[in-house]
Amino acid sequence: MRKIIHVDMDCFYAAIEQRDDPSLKGMPVAVGGNPHSRGVIATCNYEARRFGVHSAMPSAHAARLCPDLVFVRPNLNKYKEESKKIRQIFHQYTELVEPLSLDEAYLDTTESTHYHNSATWIAQAICYEIYQQTQLTASAGVARSKFLAKIASDWNKPAGLKVILPEEETYFIEKLPVKKLHGVGKVMARKLESMDIFTCGELKKVELGVLLDKFGKTGKYLYDLCRGEDKRTVKPHSDRKSLSVENTFNENISEWSECEAKLIELISDLTRRLQKIDKAEKINKVYVKVKMADFQIRSAESISQGLDVSLITALFKRLRKNFPEPIRLLGIGVKFPQTPKSKLEQLDIPF
Amino acid sequence: MRFSVGKEDLLVPLQLVSGAVEKRQTLPVLANVLIKIEEGLLSITATDLEIEMSAKIKLEGEYVEGDITVPARKLLEICKSLSDNELINFAQDEGKIKLSSGKSRFSLSTISAQEFPNIEEAVFNQKFEIEAGQLKSLFDKTQFAMAHQDVRYYLNGMLLEVNGDKLVSVATDGHRLALSKVQLNQSVTEELVQAIIPRKGILEAGKLLSAPDQVCIVELSSNHIKITQGDFVFISKLIDGRFPDYDKVLPRNAQRLMVAEKSNLKEAFTRASILCNEKFRGVRLNLSQNLLAIHANNPEQEEAEIELDVDYTDEELEIGFNVGYLLDAINAIKSDNVRFNLGDSNSSVLIENAESSDSLYVVMPMRL
Repeated sequence: MRKIIHVDMDCFYAAIEQRDDPSLKGMPVAVGGNPHSRGVIATCNYEARRFGVHSAMPSAHAARLCPDLVFVRPNLNKYKEESKKIRQIFHQYTELVEPLSLDEAYLDTTESTHYHNSATWIAQAICYEIYQQTQLTASAGVARSKFLAKIASDWNKPAGLKVILPEEETYFIEKLPVKKLHGVGKVMARKLESMDIFTCGELKKVELGVLLDKFGKTGKYLYDLCRGEDKRTVKPHSDRKSLSVENTFNENISEWSECEAKLIELISDLTRRLQKIDKAEKINKVYVKVKMADFQIRSAESISQGLDVSLITALFKRLRKNFPEPIRLLGIGVKFPQTPKSKLEQLDIPF
Repeated sequence: MRFSVGKEDLLVPLQLVSGAVEKRQTLPVLANVLIKIEEGLLSITATDLEIEMSAKIKLEGEYVEGDITVPARKLLEICKSLSDNELINFAQDEGKIKLSSGKSRFSLSTISAQEFPNIEEAVFNQKFEIEAGQLKSLFDKTQFAMAHQDVRYYLNGMLLEVNGDKLVSVATDGHRLALSKVQLNQSVTEELVQAIIPRKGILEAGKLLSAPDQVCIVELSSNHIKITQGDFVFISKLIDGRFPDYDKVLPRNAQRLMVAEKSNLKEAFTRASILCNEKFRGVRLNLSQNLLAIHANNPEQEEAEIELDVDYTDEELEIGFNVGYLLDAINAIKSDNVRFNLGDSNSSVLIENAESSDSLYVVMPMRL
């Protein structure tokens, strides 16, 4: 039986800012773009959430909901520092740590010898140690599979722990609203509700064929989840498939000179980020993406050896030629070949 | 001690016996061969404490009995370098062996024969005879599948199984398994006898079984195996462990059958293997109506696609394999056609001679 812990920091960026600036104590705080520009909110604290503010919301909208909201510019380097400390704590308990972002990670503690192999105690110890070292709170979920661990970490947030014991699993999933399943967004939830499906228990009664017809491949995923089937393992080394940077402009742009200037900015951004991941020589594709004034997304891609700046420029030029409308967002990215070895895994004779 | 022997009489036995000597040994005397003169016979023995090999050569002319050990490698190099048709004369002189042949003279260091370790006496309670060629072919058909330095120490060797008048050899490294059977002339035992012979023992014993028509005697004790062929004796300790229950993992009830001409199939896999990942050696097989498509690619994004006409009328299948394992199995099969008995893409394939079933090869797939 596997023992998986999902640890999720509570409003990570906002909590760090609040910790470091006592004047923010008790105030609704959002980390993200300026409300007078087109920025969006990266994280906000619970005080702000009370007003209905949430991450990924346009800053301007958030400012209308919560007029006292304090906006703080994100300081990613600081967050990375804190994230590193937290990951070190994880690694004291197991090598099987799969970071999902700076502020959350899956841990597989099946083989961990700490605390008599009790994942519950390990999760408690991790949250305690995170608080001791960073004065930040984390929430943790413990379960047999990744998807349940993730749902559990959200259950008693903030600074909460939720354990789903194997014997409780069936009952827990039965009552679980489908909305809680990762990947079930508003649109899918609405579709499911139109089928009178609100809980996983109700979802479980639907035949696989029906789900496949309605949702395609996702149907199989839903079918498995509501049965507690999630065989995904905790993968310590995630194989990066791509790297991209993008920028939403304060005002839409259309002049080539302006476009070119923005492109150069992004290329230097991308170059800087590429240096950190040390995979630049493996690049096999480059692409350019633009979002038009009417929110239509257009993109162009080409095979490339390394970060070929003139190729990216040519792709962007072609996009401009074919779609000359003003653009509000420009993004560029590179892709890496998928190592086939991960696809072919030698199986053992089942002695 | 003193004796003379012809170069051609000495060289081959010395070469075979020296195979037991480890390059890096813990005891100095293990780098030596034991030379013993007794009742007109020269016997040469080498050991690494796990296996012991010895050969007897009949002496002509005068001799003085005695025993001594000399450095195996140097003695072998000297013998090889001497001219043919010359007698080699050995004479013990205090702590040295004086060796002369024609106008060449050598003086070799020695270690006393008392220091030479003997594999402890064993009580051999099973005994059977088999043609050397048959035994060698049994080894050859399975030995490539033995594990090499696996933590599952019992896989670093070959299982020999005697059951009535059947002799079976099985080897596996956990990813593939090879099994071969031969019928003995006589029934050996009522109950099943199993022995795991260490990898090195199998490789060295194979070299010893050089005269295919000669009958050799195989003896088994609970800890040892002894093979005697003419003037050669091979003794090996057995691996003390339980070999996995191989019978359980032989796939039965194949849902899909493919029959292909062996030489064509081998060529196709060999071609595809050029562009597969050098370390993992994975290839993709796509089976459809009378067609096998083999696809390989490597981290450099190079690709190979080989198609081959085969006999196949079952449901389509895509399955991945380590191409090296497939080629090993095909190479071990001596027939014009081979048959692949397949299940689904996560089940093992059973590869066999399409005309007989004396040898079976099981290969686990690679997950796509």
